[in-house]
Amino acid sequence: MLKLFGYLLKQGVATSGDYCAPLAEGVIGLPKFTDEVCAGTSCGACQTECPTQAINVTESDGKPDVTLDLGSCIGCAVCVRTCPTGTIANDNRTKVASDTRLDLIVSSTSKRTTSSNTTPQGIFERSIAARVVSTGCSACDLEIGACNNAIFDMERFGIHIVASPRFADVLLVTGPVPKAMHSALKSCYEAMAEPRIVIAVGTCAISGGVHKNGYTEANGVDKILPVDAYIPGCPPHPWSIIDGIRNVMKRK
Amino acid sequence: MNPKHEIVPISDREKKLNDWLKKPGGRLGHITSIDGKQLITLVLDTETGSSFCWETPIEHSTYPSLTHTVPQSHWYERTVWDMFNLTPTGHPRLKPNLLHESYAPDLVPLAHVEVNSLTAERRQYKPMEVTGEGIYEIPVGPIHAGIIEPGHFRFSCMGEVIFNLEIRLGYVHRGVERQMCSVPWRHQRFIAEAAASDSAAANAYANAIAIESLCEEATTARAEYLRSISLEVERLSMHISDLGGLAGDIGFLAISATMSRLRGSALRIGELLTGSRFQRGFICPGGVVSDPASNLMQIQKMTKQLQIELKPVLQFFFNNQVANDRMEGIGRVSPRLAIDFGLVGVAGRASNIDYDVRRHFARGVYRQDEIAIAIETAGDVMALARVRAREIETSLYLIVELIDRLPEGTVRVPLPEKLKSNQIGLGIVEAHRGELLHLIFTDNDGGVKRYAIKDPSVNNWTGLAISARNNLVTDFPLCNKSFGLSYSGHDL
Ligand code: SF4
Ligand code: SF4
Repeated sequence: MLKLFGYLLKQGVATSGDYCAPLAEGVIGLPKFTDEVCAGTSCGACQTECPTQAINVTESDGKPDVTLDLGSCIGCAVCVRTCPTGTIANDNRTKVASDTRLDLIVSSTSKRTTSSNTTPQGIFERSIAARVVSTGCSACDLEIGACNNAIFDMERFGIHIVASPRFADVLLVTGPVPKAMHSALKSCYEAMAEPRIVIAVGTCAISGGVHKNGYTEANGVDKILPVDAYIPGCPPHPWSIIDGIRNVMKRK
Repeated sequence: MNPKHEIVPISDREKKLNDWLKKPGGRLGHITSIDGKQLITLVLDTETGSSFCWETPIEHSTYPSLTHTVPQSHWYERTVWDMFNLTPTGHPRLKPNLLHESYAPDLVPLAHVEVNSLTAERRQYKPMEVTGEGIYEIPVGPIHAGIIEPGHFRFSCMGEVIFNLEIRLGYVHRGVERQMCSVPWRHQRFIAEAAASDSAAANAYANAIAIESLCEEATTARAEYLRSISLEVERLSMHISDLGGLAGDIGFLAISATMSRLRGSALRIGELLTGSRFQRGFICPGGVVSDPASNLMQIQKMTKQLQIELKPVLQFFFNNQVANDRMEGIGRVSPRLAIDFGLVGVAGRASNIDYDVRRHFARGVYRQDEIAIAIETAGDVMALARVRAREIETSLYLIVELIDRLPEGTVRVPLPEKLKSNQIGLGIVEAHRGELLHLIFTDNDGGVKRYAIKDPSVNNWTGLAISARNNLVTDFPLCNKSFGLSYSGHDL
């Protein structure tokens, strides 16, 4: 045992003090628009290649406009690699959460950056209890789990995971919520005391991701429950998850 | 490598399969159908690394169940019933596997035949009832207490001892297999990765092998190496995570916290290799999407560092008396049952099954590199943990070694738009949980008419139910963590 303590002491502090550090060089995040002008509908390469139909290229008065739904995007970087004009580039930010579904739809002509309207001194400002319901592929869950490890250590921000909806202030839902989970998710939500918050974690939870429009009706959480915040990414980075929860904590 | 097609009439099927399983190296790979008009039995020969696809035409949507003589078919037959409405007559416990009561009774997602007058009765699920004085039930799930996927466990107990565990899955059935047929093949890899993202590299790899075989193209040597490195990194990070979880359930928090920190290093290695912590979007049919050439030195350095850091942690864990007491003799699966139920991967090897796809269906890099297969015989939690620990060592070694030997060249070859028509493509990979199969059938125009995935968890869920028997309820979490199975990979 003493040797173990010795080993642990030698490892030092692993916790990262760099809140929402940008992704390292070469790491793929969500796509973003640059100032380069798109080649228009005659190109449309990104739209054809995007596996989740997240991109739409249109033209009005001969001016090309590209819209991109970050809530459908799985961050595969295919658009970034195919775009010949450099209109779409990799976004290395980890602050990506947003309050509304619409905020996740960005456009190349009117660049709306996803942001969150927060007022200080929300009721959960100092501490919030979160219950996780997984309905997806487990990567989102593993990233929520990683938020709890020594590196991200989300407990220091007052966020802790609880094992019952009865103790929870916020419900973190991952995965597209296929039909067999509809009623279980609803009853979990109903078991929570008010005020209660729902966060859709990950692209599946936001829109169904690659599973949307199938016979299992796996089209995301907001088809089942009112959603208060969205954290895009497939899976979202642990910093994005922590930041998304912090945003709702600050809300009145 | 593609399976040889053979028509096997219904009258011969049972005998033929039983004979196959008796011969050395004979394995059952999968039982499914293409469109509900036939049964497909995929059998593997691990001695020669070959496979056969037996097609059995079915009339009137029924066939005799093989569960009585081939126990491992019980699970497949339930799934085939759900997805194709083919009824296995004589199945001892026929009930839905993937489709729950909430689905319309006449929904038969993968069949292309007329189905008529299906009633809601077929969706009813009755768990097995254990009766007797003092027997009580503990229902758990579908939503679990921790941060894991959903599933329902029903323990029938006597005092503290589990008599029977029934596992009900299907809660995360998202319709992956049908979705795979509705997109162009070059988009399939994204759905395959999302089928179970903790095995993203393995799923993308299996998809790539299957598609390449349907194009009759091979990728470059360099890409083949990079894919194998990616697969080993995935195995490394998940094995670390599973061992950490096991330590956590024992209450050995110093180990579990250290392991989750070290898993971060493994994920970082994956990120350097592929640009993604879960190695998403890297492996594609034709090769890999990018060449991590400039990061390879750093990957090697980090891997060696991780090797140094992991060693004492694993020693502390395995030398701890309390940890030993909690793991030894718990959750035993005998080698006989392991064979009967076709266990794969770590669980199979812990019960003396000498089978590892990397060696038995060797391709590319592994051909020159003998994989040291970790085998244990006890089949208990300890054996599973030991196998995992040894495989961590192998993976660490392989990552460094493969980078040393990495051939020069390009990393992607162009593939034709269209696949070969009326062919069967098979992708088989040793994922961190074991044998993962992707089976593709193409139609007259080279379109994909059926995409079947068999996750290693399909075989091993029954193994977990067996391991829990006659153990204390409090030891179930250890059995569960030692198997470390996937819900989404099974449910698709
Ligand atoms: S990165 Fe997102 S938007 Fe771009 S192609 Fe991939 S899924 Fe589509
Ligand atoms: S968003 Fe991506 S990582 Fe999360 S559950 Fe869906 S497929 Fe998995």
